[in-house]
Amino acid sequence: MSIDIYWRIGTHGDQQSLRRRVSSRGEWAPVVPGSITPGVRNGRRDGYSYVEHMADVARASESSGFVGGLLPSFPFTDDPWAAAAVLARETTSYRFMIAYQPGFLHPVQAARMSASLQRATGGRVVYNIISGGGGPAQLWWGDRVDHDDRYARTSEFLDVLKGVWSGGPFDYQGRFYQVEGAGLPEPLARQPFPEIYFSGSSKAAIEAAGRHADYYLSWLEPFPALAAKFAQVREHSTALGRAPKFAVRIDVLARETEQAAWDEIRRGWAHVDPAALRSADGDSVGWLRSQSFVSWPVRDHRELEVSPNVWGGFHLLRGGPAFGLVGSYQQVAERLDELIGLGVDAFILAGVPHLEEAYRVGEEVLPLLRGHDIRQHSPLPPVSVTKGSI
Amino acid sequence: MAAYPDFLVTVPTQGDGRDPLRRDRGEWQPGARRPLPPFVTDLRPGASSAFDHLAQVGRAAEIAAIGGAFVPFDSAGEESLVVAAGLLRQSRHLRVVAGFHPGIATPVYAAKFSASLQRFTGNRLGWQLDVDLDPAVARSQGDFLPGADRYARAEEFLTVAKGVWHEEGYTYEGRFYQVLAGGFQSPNSGLPFPRVYLTGTSPEALALSARHADVHLFTADQDVETGIGELAAQSAQEGRPVEYGLRLPVLARDDDEEAWAEARRLWDLAGGVGEGLPDPDPRTRLWGGFGRIAGPGASGLVGSYETVAAGLRGYLGQGVTTFVLESRPHIEETYRLGERLLPLFAKEIEHVH
Repeated sequence: MSIDIYWRIGTHGDQQSLRRRVSSRGEWAPVVPGSITPGVRNGRRDGYSYVEHMADVARASESSGFVGGLLPSFPFTDDPWAAAAVLARETTSYRFMIAYQPGFLHPVQAARMSASLQRATGGRVVYNIISGGGGPAQLWWGDRVDHDDRYARTSEFLDVLKGVWSGGPFDYQGRFYQVEGAGLPEPLARQPFPEIYFSGSSKAAIEAAGRHADYYLSWLEPFPALAAKFAQVREHSTALGRAPKFAVRIDVLARETEQAAWDEIRRGWAHVDPAALRSADGDSVGWLRSQSFVSWPVRDHRELEVSPNVWGGFHLLRGGPAFGLVGSYQQVAERLDELIGLGVDAFILAGVPHLEEAYRVGEEVLPLLRGHDIRQHSPLPPVSVTKGSI
Repeated sequence: MAAYPDFLVTVPTQGDGRDPLRRDRGEWQPGARRPLPPFVTDLRPGASSAFDHLAQVGRAAEIAAIGGAFVPFDSAGEESLVVAAGLLRQSRHLRVVAGFHPGIATPVYAAKFSASLQRFTGNRLGWQLDVDLDPAVARSQGDFLPGADRYARAEEFLTVAKGVWHEEGYTYEGRFYQVLAGGFQSPNSGLPFPRVYLTGTSPEALALSARHADVHLFTADQDVETGIGELAAQSAQEGRPVEYGLRLPVLARDDDEEAWAEARRLWDLAGGVGEGLPDPDPRTRLWGGFGRIAGPGASGLVGSYETVAAGLRGYLGQGVTTFVLESRPHIEETYRLGERLLPLFAKEIEHVH
């Protein structure tokens, strides 16, 4: 067993801290003195774009012990394929976990891009396949396919992608895709096929994950809910003779002491707009689930701590999912160990600001992990969901 | 008084780390780098070199729009000219000042090396000539010249370097150096000479600066006001302007309380547990506690960004226009200085389109 620990590379700028929800890195904010990529020199933009900061984050996390970085994809972000192509030249061992939705890109083109990137990077491409949060964002991309149908499409997409991967000729007649005499040319053919991290909390997603996932990836949720989700995926996979591994995407706020960590949260909480304390849009089951673990409305930041160090308010301090870990270096390491005990094989960690926190988490938290022992000695906790449902 | 002073950050020559005594970044204390547990995939071995970290420090300064980077001469550390060459190569805007002493080479060779660097990097190299090295260090570098003679030699060194740089057919006959029909030819001629940074408060040091320095660097534990007064008088006599700079460590945070809490944490880590923190000087705001957490003799500024900026403005008022700041860990703190401290010196915050 080897645990793969990834970092996240923000693809839409970054904040200086969780204290103020104000972006100052990347072109998503006004360019003023003190801005990063682009910066200001002598009253003019310095000519840099946000990818230069992404490169700093990639190198910081590469050197502090992470195996790679997740590049998220949303309408407002930079594109992960383009970012991976550029950042590949700036790193040596770092893997790029490219988030993408199969419907937006033809599977033959996805195969071509992946194979070329594999050749350029020595096989450092990893897929994070998302089938969609739905709602307005899906139509923004020009995609009208229904939620459950998107998983059927993902299955066809992967059938075609894998079909052309080894060279041709490959024919396919599906509901969503048709190809004839397809296949990657030499020498693009037969590169190592990227590992697949597969996300989605709905029934359709879990069924599709059973067929395609090397890793089933979830946002952090309260541990019993997570265990229940993993059990469902395991069940579907076993029926198909497959055994995916499990991965969790977790925001981390770790400090020397627990007190110092909560002080950081408290400073950010002071700026949260009370009206923002509840919002849910789109048809993402994962998001609705994450909101169901907390009894709203909430008055104090500690009310969002659903179990020790598991805090559900990160979305109020920065864009992104709700749950993450808050605590001392030791406590955060212990919670990660518990997740390893639950069967987690890979983590995608993140912290704001991503550059500075990559060094901190890599230097201070990761060396404290003891997961090995814990998985050997602790039994899996009972499979039950306290609140919410799948 | 300049509206927007020039800022440089100091590059670590013997590794870097989160805490004062930790040097686990940059391979200077390999044992201090805590390994990942064996069950965690580690792709790093063999994949990074000591220079990768220095390059990251340089990039941080470049990306955070800091004016320049200073790589001091350190006989026990990384070689400053080589580091400077790498940092210059990996940046577009950053000026890099390399510290070295006159004993490292003939002035002709130092100039030749520098002409290449100027050509390769858009003329962004600076020289900080270290004249008064610790005598034991100087001897360890093969240099046995004592006392005031070192300034006489430095004078000749700069004269000859500038001579061959600017003049074809240059000839010089001195106590320390001789050149016959020297001088650079195209394309190594006609370049801007590296900006010269000099230091010291002795009469010899100030006299040398009056004739050769573009910037004279003080440290915060020196009597900056008196030094500037004497040097201003001498440079007026020489008929050439000299700018004034200050080298100092800083610890800046969102508010004073947080900055002092961090000072306390670093003080404790550096062996000060149970000892009271020294008070900052009420007039200059300088804090001598950096002597323990940053290096012997260091005095610097602690406080909120506004407090530190006010301390620096005090020096601006005395005529200082260049600040060479030092703060660890270098990457994170360089971002912090670029994002939070330097904008306080922009004349006004303007959107740039």
